[in-house]
Amino acid sequence: MSSALSAEVEEHSLELQAADLLAMIDAGRPLLVLDVRNEEEYASWRIEGLRPFHSVHVPYFEFLENPDDSIARIPFDTRPIAVVCAKGGSSSFVAEVLRDAGRDARNVAGGMVAYGDHLQARRISLGEGYASQLEIWQVNRRGKGCLSYLIRSADEAMVIDPSRRTEFYQSLAASLHARITAVVDTHVHADHLSGGPALANASGATYMTPSENAGTSGCALGDGARLRVGKSITLVLGTPGHTPESICLLMEGKYLASGDTLFARGIGRPDLGSDVRGWARMLHRTLRHTLSRLPDETLVLPAHYSDTSEIRPDGTVSGILGELRQSAPELQIANEEEFIAAMERATRPAPPSYPKIASANRLREPVAEDLASEWEIGRNQCAAARASP
Amino acid sequence: MNVKKLDVRGLKCPIPIVKAKQEIERMASGDQLEVMATDPGSVPDFQGWVKVNKKVSLQSQRVETDDSGRQVYVHLLERLH
Repeated sequence: MSSALSAEVEEHSLELQAADLLAMIDAGRPLLVLDVRNEEEYASWRIEGLRPFHSVHVPYFEFLENPDDSIARIPFDTRPIAVVCAKGGSSSFVAEVLRDAGRDARNVAGGMVAYGDHLQARRISLGEGYASQLEIWQVNRRGKGCLSYLIRSADEAMVIDPSRRTEFYQSLAASLHARITAVVDTHVHADHLSGGPALANASGATYMTPSENAGTSGCALGDGARLRVGKSITLVLGTPGHTPESICLLMEGKYLASGDTLFARGIGRPDLGSDVRGWARMLHRTLRHTLSRLPDETLVLPAHYSDTSEIRPDGTVSGILGELRQSAPELQIANEEEFIAAMERATRPAPPSYPKIASANRLREPVAEDLASEWEIGRNQCAAARASP
Repeated sequence: MNVKKLDVRGLKCPIPIVKAKQEIERMASGDQLEVMATDPGSVPDFQGWVKVNKKVSLQSQRVETDDSGRQVYVHLLERLH
């Protein structure tokens, strides 16, 4: 009994949670990351942190065939080794091989799936002296570059674009002494499965999506609709382009939850459907007309980022609309046909799972856990690529 | 020449390759092993593994759908010598 217990304790200390791994990297703690996935998986998606770190790639099957040679490829020093694979199985085997060789190796529990699912919340600073009834929390899915939001006012909360780890938002709302009354998806996401219907269901909230995707249940949000959360008012802006039904949510006239329409450094791609020209035309109108009415100081709170360098020192991702107007070339193309041509040139293939994810989100179909993890592999690819000069 | 089947559906890595390696060790030159896996990562994994294991070659890989609608990745391996 006691030996079983101590074995369990030991097992636990030999594992590293994805959250702890990220915290170590972000803090610049000494660490070596050993990725044991195959070449293809390593090339397409890997651990990223706020600071550079030493990463080594040796596939697990090389440890299986040539353990001594493989161990010799890992720099020998005092840094702990975090071993990561797709789901945590192969890395557990490799970590054990390394420990048997006297190395301080820990298995990253749940592997890249756990890394891709991990969420962290940061409060958005609403400016000095800002004493409104509004509080905005940005929930960052670091592994995928997905951002969702929890808006609190008085004892009510609204969640925008939640991931399927719905318990995270419920705990956050509870810690703020608020109940979730509204859950909104800004569009039919293709890169991740929406947690919207499940979160609304679990918290007794209303699930709201743009009109074109309202279906038979749920509440439709059209341009000009107003949402009240506690004492705060949010205005719905119809912003078609990334997808035809896309909306942005303007909170208190200043804070724009911009979905996949505007990002901190660019715009959402209009080529995830079958009509890149038609969607690009809508996107151009959205950018040149609808969003051009907003003041320069509008804070852009996007649903994605493409690169960890977009994360600010306070851990949040955002943009100032005026700065974006100056820096993003896509926002400077006045001519519609020119913009459409630029978007056509920037067209690139989407990950093969995107149509499946979009379909499940559109139909609000639950997806089995293992399939969901498989579909959601990799960082989001929702931003428009910069057209080559 | 014998063809043996190995069903590792539902098992996550490293099990498919660990078991395939065990089977290959017991086989004679020219014998084949058909591995059925459900992890899509097994496709590049088997491609990478046969580069470091000199006793085996990868003859083919194909995708099938089993009775429960799951995608099954079938890897045909051959013992070399």
